[in-house]
Amino acid sequence: MTKQSPKSYTIFLLCNLLFLFSLIVEAKRPEYHLDLKNHLFYPAQIIIPANKKIKLVIHNRDNSAEEFSSFDLNREKVIFSKKTSTIFVGPLPVGEYSFFGEYHPNSARGKVIVEKNSNPDVSHDALSPKQGGRNVN
Amino acid sequence: MLINTILLFLQSALPIFIVISLLLLRFTTTSASLFTNKNLSFIIVLAISLVFLLSQYMEGISQLFDGKGTELVFSLGFILIYFCSALLFLFDNKDRLINVKKILALMVFLLVLSLNGSHFILYLTSYWTQSLPLSSGVESLFIGIILAVGICVSFAILLYFLLRYSDTSIHIKTSCYFLLFFATGQLMQSIVLLQQVDVLPLSSIIWNSTDFIAEKSEFGQLLRVLFGYETTPSFMQLIIYLTAFTVPVFISKSRYFFRLAYGEKS
Repeated sequence: MTKQSPKSYTIFLLCNLLFLFSLIVEAKRPEYHLDLKNHLFYPAQIIIPANKKIKLVIHNRDNSAEEFSSFDLNREKVIFSKKTSTIFVGPLPVGEYSFFGEYHPNSARGKVIVEKNSNPDVSHDALSPKQGGRNVN
Repeated sequence: MLINTILLFLQSALPIFIVISLLLLRFTTTSASLFTNKNLSFIIVLAISLVFLLSQYMEGISQLFDGKGTELVFSLGFILIYFCSALLFLFDNKDRLINVKKILALMVFLLVLSLNGSHFILYLTSYWTQSLPLSSGVESLFIGIILAVGICVSFAILLYFLLRYSDTSIHIKTSCYFLLFFATGQLMQSIVLLQQVDVLPLSSIIWNSTDFIAEKSEFGQLLRVLFGYETTPSFMQLIIYLTAFTVPVFISKSRYFFRLAYGEKS
C-alpha cells in the first residue's frame, strides 16, 4: 500500500470542508413557495428581503405545463404538469418585480416585492392569501 | 391567444430565421453552398427529429440533476453554439477548411433550431392537453403561427440583403461579426440559465436600462435575440460578454498585432 503524504490529506480535508461549507450556505438560503392552480399563482405576491439570494420553489398543480417568466427578474422556466421546479432569485434591490405564466399571461400573474425590512424568519404557507410561502432549510 | 401565439412563436423562431440567413449569406458568398439537393432532405428530417425528441424528453430532462436538467442541457447547447460560431468566425478566410466550416454551420443551425423549436412545441403541447373546446383556439393558433412566420421570413430576408449590402459596400466581414455578436448573445442565455439554478453566482446588477429600452418591448426582444441585450446585466455577464466577443476578434487579428509589435520584417 502506498503511503499518502500529509499534503494530500490536507487537500482532502480542505475539499471536504469546502463541500460542507457549500452545503451549509445552500441550506441557509431562504426558501419561498409558489403554487400554480387553475392558471393562477398562489400567492400572487411574495415579499422577500432586499440584497439576499432566495430559492423560489414553484409547484404546478395544473394538468398542463406552464412557463414561469419574468423580464424584471430575468428568469424563464418551464414547469411541467404536477411537477415542482426551483429557481434562484436575487440579490435584488428594493422594488417590485412582476412575473407571469407565459402560456396564460392574462390569468397567471404575480409580483415579487423586495423590502428592506422584510423579516426573513417569518414563515407562510404556499396557499396563504397573505404573502409568499417561506421556509428556511 | 392570437397575440400570445405570435409572441411565443417570434421568440422561438426568430433566432432560427436569423441563423439561417446568416449561414446562407456566409456560405453562398464563399461559393460553397451549405444546403445541396443531396443533403437538404436529410438535414430537414434530422432537424425535425431533434426538435420533437427534445420536446418529448424535456420533462424527463427537467428532473435530472436535482431539477437543474433543462438549464444544464440548454446552457451546454448555447455554449456549443457560441464555440461553433466563434470557430466559423476564425476560419472565415480559410477556404481549405470548407468541410469543417460546413459541419460547424450545420451544428449551429441544428442546435439553434432544436433548442428554440422544442420550446414552441411545448407551448403547443400545453395547449392541446388542456380541456378547451377545440374551435375556441385552433383558429387563433394557426393564424398566429402564419402571421409570425410572415414576420420572421420578412425580417430574415431584410437582414440577409442588408448584411449582403454591408459585406460588399461597407466591410467585407460585417456578417461574420454579426454572427459572432449573435453567438455571444446565445452564450449570455446560458449564463442566465446557470445563474437561475445557482451553478454560477448571482452578482449585483451594474445598470438598469429599462427606461431606455425595456426588455419586454418588441425592440428590446429583438435586440435580445440579435445581440443578447440585457436591461439589468450583472458584472459577471458584462465581463463574459466582452471576453466572448473580443477573444475571437483578437485571435483573428493576432497576425496583424504581431506585425505591429515586431515590425514587418519579422
